[in-house]
Amino acid sequence: MTAIALAGLVHVYPEGTRALDGVDLEIPAGQRLAIIGQNGSGKTTLVRHLNGLLRPTEGRVLLDGRDIRSLRVAHLARQVGLVFQNPDRQIFAGRVRAEVAFGPRNMGVRGAELDRVVGDALTAVGLAGQADTNPYDLGYSRRKLLALASILAMRTPVVVLDEPTTGQDARGVARVQAIVAALTAEGRTVIAISHDMEFVAEQFPRVVVMRDGRIVDDGPPGAVFAPERVGLLASTGLVPPPAARIGARLGLGATPTEHALLAALRTHRR
Amino acid sequence: MSEADVAFLQRLAPPTPSSYHRLNPFTKALAAVAESIAAFVIGGYVGPLAIFGLAVLPAAAMAGVLRRLVRVSVVLTLPIAISVVLISVFTRAGSTVLFTVGPFDATVEGVDFAGQVLVRLITLSTAIGLFGLTTEPRAFVFDLERRGLSPQLAFAATATLEAIPAMLERAKVIQAAQRARGLDTEGRIADRLRGVLPLVGPVVLSSLTEVEERTLALEVRAFGRRGRRHLLWTMPEATWEAPLRWVLLAVLVVIVAARLTGAWPAIP
Repeated sequence: MTAIALAGLVHVYPEGTRALDGVDLEIPAGQRLAIIGQNGSGKTTLVRHLNGLLRPTEGRVLLDGRDIRSLRVAHLARQVGLVFQNPDRQIFAGRVRAEVAFGPRNMGVRGAELDRVVGDALTAVGLAGQADTNPYDLGYSRRKLLALASILAMRTPVVVLDEPTTGQDARGVARVQAIVAALTAEGRTVIAISHDMEFVAEQFPRVVVMRDGRIVDDGPPGAVFAPERVGLLASTGLVPPPAARIGARLGLGATPTEHALLAALRTHRR
Repeated sequence: MSEADVAFLQRLAPPTPSSYHRLNPFTKALAAVAESIAAFVIGGYVGPLAIFGLAVLPAAAMAGVLRRLVRVSVVLTLPIAISVVLISVFTRAGSTVLFTVGPFDATVEGVDFAGQVLVRLITLSTAIGLFGLTTEPRAFVFDLERRGLSPQLAFAATATLEAIPAMLERAKVIQAAQRARGLDTEGRIADRLRGVLPLVGPVVLSSLTEVEERTLALEVRAFGRRGRRHLLWTMPEATWEAPLRWVLLAVLVVIVAARLTGAWPAIP
């Protein structure tokens, strides 16, 4: 299992944008963590450092205490699987099956074992019947699921999801939630970037809030979405999930999820 | 116009570093074509070298791109120059044999012919290279569109000009995706070469898909509509540029006519 540590991470893009401005973050192995923040706050830049696609301008990225500076992306890919936000920047193969098999094949998986991991990943995202389809013939939400499957098949100890629920209907979101739960059950680390506050509050015990390349808040959803922190959240252009807003209006305290809101209502009635 | 539009237009016509850059693209194109044709029609050594030394070089110096121009034109013409020299030196029939390599005789006539081709090549490649180094391709095409080139042709031209950078960009994206899934493209040369193969298919395929999507996007914005369009932006042009172009054209016509009719004898 892989523990992640970021120390003083700064990233300045060649044209001068300071996308990360000193980020310190520790993520123990097996944790499930969500990163939220408005567009341009540095979330994607941050996760692209975890597998070496971007290299720090300053600061360090440690996997299990080891600085990854000297490790190649191809090597890091065995530890950190990154599902891109835009599936079209990730998908390149002419067949769904080939797309999913690309990662595990690079890791040396062959034959029946390869068929099995590809089949499992496609089943998990509900694309088992589309193995011979051209990815371009799938709709956007299914291409996103395909991108997810192509990372799942690599069975990396860390899985990073960049906006996994965008464009998904209720069934798609349920699928993503089930996958996240299954990954955690296997002891793997899940890091998700999301604008879907309901998804974040329901699924992630730890929420990190970013603004202008820095971490401005870090805690469980009950704390991050608590009424007294609405101002801080609003400064990042975000609005708490509906359950938290209703709870706050009713003076019920922190109710980040539907479940918490209903429980608070029941207690209140008594 | 929105801020983004203004920014886009400024990228096309950036505050350019020299007055040669600021010439209208059509003027620079005509100069390059006239110099090239004249060099070939006049022939010999003196003519092409005079065009090179009196027209192309001073313009390149004025534009401040002399060193880059030399580098670019050497790189571009070297392969052709080598084959031209080898073929003409060794295969051209002649009476005076300089030396012999195997079955091939190097003749004085062959060396002379190779030399003449070389000076023409130098003039041609630097004249066209100067145009390329001082002109934004899209600005040239937009300017042609203003002069009546059909939007369809203009689009085909810009699409071709931009296809290569677009494909390189696409290749970079795909390579990042492949590296993120364990394909080793860093490190030893063998690894890098192996990493290129899985790129080829996806880049070509996605370029084709992109063409289809781009066509649809253009069509839904009335690209196929007939009739004149209003251009938001035109390339600046000094008042004396049009007369200058007519002069260039007239000089070229006179040179070509004089050479064809034999009124102008061949000069060495």
